[in-house]
Formats: sequence, C-alpha cells, structure tokens
Amino acid sequence: MASEELGPLPAGRHGFSREQVEHNQRERLIAGLATAVAEHGYNAVTITHITKAARVSRRVFYANFESKEECFLAAFEVVAGYVRELAAEAAAEEGDWAHRAIAAARAVLSFFAEEPDLARLCLVESTSAGPAVASRFRAAIDEVEPFLAEGRKERGNAERELPESTEASVLGALVSLASRRVGAGDAERLPELLPDFAEFILAPYLGAAEAARLTREAA
Amino acid sequence: MDQRRRILEATAELVAEQGFQATTIEMIVRRAKVGYATFYKSFEDKEAAFLALLDEAVEQLTGRVKEAYDREPEWPDKVAAGLGAMFEVIAANPNVARACLVEASTAGPEATRRQEGAMKQFAPLLKPGRELNPRRDQLPDTLEDTLMGGVMWVVNQRLVGNETAKLRELLPETLEFVLRPYVGEEKAAAEAGALTGAS
Repeated sequence: MASEELGPLPAGRHGFSREQVEHNQRERLIAGLATAVAEHGYNAVTITHITKAARVSRRVFYANFESKEECFLAAFEVVAGYVRELAAEAAAEEGDWAHRAIAAARAVLSFFAEEPDLARLCLVESTSAGPAVASRFRAAIDEVEPFLAEGRKERGNAERELPESTEASVLGALVSLASRRVGAGDAERLPELLPDFAEFILAPYLGAAEAARLTREAA
Repeated sequence: MDQRRRILEATAELVAEQGFQATTIEMIVRRAKVGYATFYKSFEDKEAAFLALLDEAVEQLTGRVKEAYDREPEWPDKVAAGLGAMFEVIAANPNVARACLVEASTAGPEATRRQEGAMKQFAPLLKPGRELNPRRDQLPDTLEDTLMGGVMWVVNQRLVGNETAKLRELLPETLEFVLRPYVGEEKAAAEAGALTGAS
C-alpha cells in the first residue's frame, strides 16, 4: 500500500489496457491519499496533496472521485477489506473459537503496527473525517460482532444469556484502546496490546480464569 | 432564554443534525434567531461556539455523575448511580449529547482533546473496584479508559440511531459490562438485575 511501491505509470505505448491503467490510477490515488492524510491529517489535506503523492493529475483524480471524502471512503474500504481477509486467514489456521479469536486479533494488531499510516487512517482520521466516513467506520466495526458472538456457544449450559450489547461493548472498548495508542503515535507498539485484547475478548464467554490462562499461553 | 444560550442550543441542534463541518455561522444565527453581531459578540467563530457548548456539556455531565456517585456508600452502587446519571443526562439532551459525544471528534484537535479529557475524569471513579478483585495486580493499567471506551461506543450507537429512548434498557447491560472485570460475572449480573428490578 505504501506509495513507494508504486513506480511511475508506464508512458506511451504500453502493454496495459485502458481499464488496467485506470484501475492502477485509482489505486495510486488511494495510496496517495493514505500518504497525504498521514502527513497533513484528513481535515487539512487537499486534493493537490493527494494528486502530488499519487503523481497523477487533478483530472485523473476527478475522473475517479468526486471529492476527497469519496477517495477517503475508497481507501478505508480497501484497507478494511484487506484487514478482514488477514483476520479470516489467521483465524482459519486455528481450531476452536478462542484460538481463532486470538489469532485474528494478533493479525490485525501486527498489520496496523507495520502500517502506521494506515492505522492512523482507519482508527484515528476516520472518526474525524465527517459523518459519512464515521458511519462507515462504525459499520466496519459492527461487522465483527457476529464473529465475537460465536463465543456465546462456548458458555455451554450457562444459566443466563449474556446481555445483548456485550459484543458491541467489547469491540468499542478495544477500538478505543487501539485508537488511543495510534493517536499517540505509538502504532508500532500495538502488538503489546495482544494480552489486553485477548483477555477482553475471551472473559465474557469463557470466564476470567480461563481467559487469563489462554492469554498467558498466547503471550 | 438569553441570546448566548439560544446560540449554543442552535449549534447543538445543527451539529447533531448534519455534523460540525457542514454547519455554518449563517445557519446558527438563523436557527437561533439572532444577528451576526450578536454571534460575534459572544464567539470568535464556529469552533469557539462549539467549544463553549462542549465545555458546558462536559461540566454538566461530570458534575451530575460525580454527585450521584458520591451519594452511595458502596462502590458497585456508586458506579450504578453514576452510570444511571450519565444515561439520564444524555437521554434528556439528545442533541447536545450527539454533538458532543459523536461529532466532537470532527470539530478539530482542540475539541477532540477536551472530549478525551472529559472521558478521563471517569477512570478514577472505576479504579476503587480493583480492590474487590483478587487478581488486581494482573489488571491492565488501561482497564478503566478501555471500559469507558466500550460504554461510549454503545451509547454512541444509540445516539446515531436516534434511539435515546433505548438508553434505559441499555443501562443494566452496561453496568454489568463495567463491573464484570472487577467483581466477576455473577456479582455484576446481580447488580445489573437489582437495577432492572428498581426501575
């Protein structure tokens, strides 16, 4: 995703179809936005910042996006989709729900630690970029709820149901924990939060003692 | 109602409806039925008006929460009372709550800083709960801030969905969520159940 990975667009008679070039330009703009937002913050970033970082013209920007908000939303979708895939792949390597949850959390924290600009884009800027982006951000987090809710089956014949809002509360807590780190410029230290994440996720479903045991095992 | 108050209420309504960036001073003076001169006598710009609104809301919220908290002798009841007061203030002022809790992060770094500062005031109210946990030395330092993050997340979900009426139902669940890391599920659920029975 980093803009350095993108070489100059092949000029003149190249082997790319028109569609491929356009797709590539869109990706460059998305990468350019991530770079520009990391430097200036979403509210101060201009379309010129984005096109400069992407090394494309304004005309190309407007051919792909109507506004910086639309470009931001596209960037958010790309990163969110990628993170979702990473988490699903990591989870698929494990057997039971608890280990799948820990593996997914580890994968997400490591990814954002390696990509601090994207961590800032997704976890800090997305909440300050206005109502449309904020609502997309909340929806992306809400999508994780069913995965957590699978943990309810682990409670076996527990006498009572967990409150309906358990998953939302746990996710909100984890988002705030991670966002504070990233906002403070400590994205690369996100993996240190794995024990907190694991215990927070597991405790409601497995109880404090078992959650602590699995967390120690994961550390 | 004095003119300053009208300006703050109009700001809350507009920011709640359409966000901070889309709100203009023109909209504010029109909604508040005051002139531009009156606006600029009280506030330098839109951000200043919003920050004044935020400061007032934070003062009211933290004041009411602490008052309710201090009235109870036992810690779990203190938390129940404090959280109850918080939900009441929010439900009674949905526009102010939406503007100050949901939209504040879009109103620039100073608003974000003040809002985060306000949330930090709640952590010391939860901390005494650590004494009730035999594993207290293993609890993460960030626990209180993180729990408040979870509370604000579900509250914001209701505010965004215009479901402030549902905050009442949410209160016992949220109390259980907040108490559980300190006292365990059984006691936390019992406290939440007592709240349901009492309301």
